[in-house]
Amino acid sequence: MPLKLKTLARRLSTLHGAVFVALSLAAGAAVYGISDRPSAARFQMPVIAMQSSHAPPGMQSRFVSSTQNIHTHAASLVELDDGRIRAFWFAGSREGAPDVEIRSAVYDPVSDHWSAEQSIANREDTQRSLLRYVKKLGNPVAHRASDGTLWLFYVTVSLGGWAGSSITAVTSTDDGASWSPARRLITSPFLNISTLVKGTPFNYSDGSIGLPVYHEFIAKFGELLRISKTGSIIDKTRLSSGNTGLQPVVLIKSPQQAMALMRYSGASPRRVIATTTADAGQHWSPPAKLALSNPDAAISGVVLTDGRILMALNDTEQSRDALSLVVSSDGGKSWKTVYQLEDQRGQHTGQEHYMQAAAELAKATDAGITDAADYARSAQRNKCEVQGCGFEFSYPYLIQARSGDFHLVYTWNRSFIKHVRFSRAWLDGQLEKATHDQLH
Amino acid sequence: MTNFTDLTGLASVASATALSFVLLPGFARITKLRLAVLPGAVFVLVLIPFSGMPLAAYVRGVTGDLSITTLVLVWCALLRPWFGCGATDARSRYALLMLVVLAALALYPLALGAGAFDPYRLGYGDPLLVAALLLTALAAWFWKSSLIALCIAFATFAWSAGWYESGNLWDYLLDPFVSIYALAAILMHAVQALFRRGRPPESKPALPAS
Repeated sequence: MPLKLKTLARRLSTLHGAVFVALSLAAGAAVYGISDRPSAARFQMPVIAMQSSHAPPGMQSRFVSSTQNIHTHAASLVELDDGRIRAFWFAGSREGAPDVEIRSAVYDPVSDHWSAEQSIANREDTQRSLLRYVKKLGNPVAHRASDGTLWLFYVTVSLGGWAGSSITAVTSTDDGASWSPARRLITSPFLNISTLVKGTPFNYSDGSIGLPVYHEFIAKFGELLRISKTGSIIDKTRLSSGNTGLQPVVLIKSPQQAMALMRYSGASPRRVIATTTADAGQHWSPPAKLALSNPDAAISGVVLTDGRILMALNDTEQSRDALSLVVSSDGGKSWKTVYQLEDQRGQHTGQEHYMQAAAELAKATDAGITDAADYARSAQRNKCEVQGCGFEFSYPYLIQARSGDFHLVYTWNRSFIKHVRFSRAWLDGQLEKATHDQLH
Repeated sequence: MTNFTDLTGLASVASATALSFVLLPGFARITKLRLAVLPGAVFVLVLIPFSGMPLAAYVRGVTGDLSITTLVLVWCALLRPWFGCGATDARSRYALLMLVVLAALALYPLALGAGAFDPYRLGYGDPLLVAALLLTALAAWFWKSSLIALCIAFATFAWSAGWYESGNLWDYLLDPFVSIYALAAILMHAVQALFRRGRPPESKPALPAS
């Protein structure tokens, strides 16, 4: 026996033996790594009150952002612990400019007032935290995890255009008063490029976070990330394949069932595409086109407590100058327009007429503003070219607060973020009206 | 405070930068002492912050963290003057590069959207991928392809230990740079072999230096 041990020791002392030892250690570590992997979880259903708590009966609108003569885009919302709503968006001298920062403001539903906007993240601070060069910032989306931590995911680019994007995350344990240093999410094997966020995140039953993302380098497809409470990615599922699906929105119907709707960037006819899951996102059906028209633009939506789907989107095939609220009562097969939020279809006008129309729209958004002409000038800066001017109402982001009220934000002529708030009672009234109009 | 995974990521980039200096023309002729000092100095220099960011962070912004396989090859090349690593085991190196090419051809097109299946998903701790890797490493060890066995062992160990920011095993096994290098080396080897055909046999063909 001592002889055998001696022989073994001699063999292990050679390179060949050392490699075997390394391999054994790696096998042990791998078993630990696999056993540490969280098991599949169900979707967590949001808790929504049946009656609205403080919303006035109608629909109200406000501007969230206030900085003039700046490029402003891609807003998202999250409800805080005390029922206030925090918005995030990006703003800078132009889209993709190095001075673009992620900004935020807080809405108090009781006083119906937005706080002053503040900067949450910029390029320099982000690259210092990440210890990586960062060229520009893009879309932010926020989420409140089951443990109360506020997560902000935003797009960062180090190389090339938006197809070179990666996701950066920061967290806050005080509902956005202060933020942790930025962390990079590694989501792709090829230089970690081309993962972007736009859709609303959601919770799983085990406290992990579902983050809808999309890829647009060479191919365009939707994906779903599952992120642990500590911020590690624990799974990634593909929602579509090919070159046509972008910016997925996951609509949760039950702890096991959901539908993901995506912006379609393929050839005409341009329709929203959808895929479904019956096993909490482990597998998704092949995507299929819905009846909803969309001009290859972002969409947003929620599932109502009675199972109907409410969406906000540009429901034309051609442009982003009209924005609607639409409802489906049959799981997405048919849709009914319940309210036309904006409609400037085909209004590509000369600068003078555009300025006048933009000022009127600004005044209609918020009767309290005294400088509607300044709002119009900002719109002119971002939406007028030599050929003329065009209206844009895009990138909607819709949530339903725990009180039952709905909050929608969207880009207003690439210049401001507009907020629309309405109650369940108002929505039901609009639905009745739409049904009545259809019957007559 | 700097995260551990930022330090390991920056060190990976600094190692590759140091190697790129060693590969410059003229370095083959300098003394072993200088061969140790110069890459060492480059390694340290690129990690020193200038106006808040080290040079390695700019490179890392584009390249990301380099895989363990790349690091094994980089450090083999850096230590070759002292330990002969890489030069003495051409067969093992060739087998590793071939495996890297095959894995890259299986991973990247599918992960970038060619088809509905995403092999990258398996990297988040799928038992089948881990088992297949360990069996491959065991087979490589059995046939004395130590480099393959070591790369898989180190990569798996690093993944389990959370060495980098990534929680995906593929990122420890492969990166685009080692994949391109492996493909180029295999192609050059094949072309050299073709040119040698018909000529009287000389010495055994060698792979290009890493």
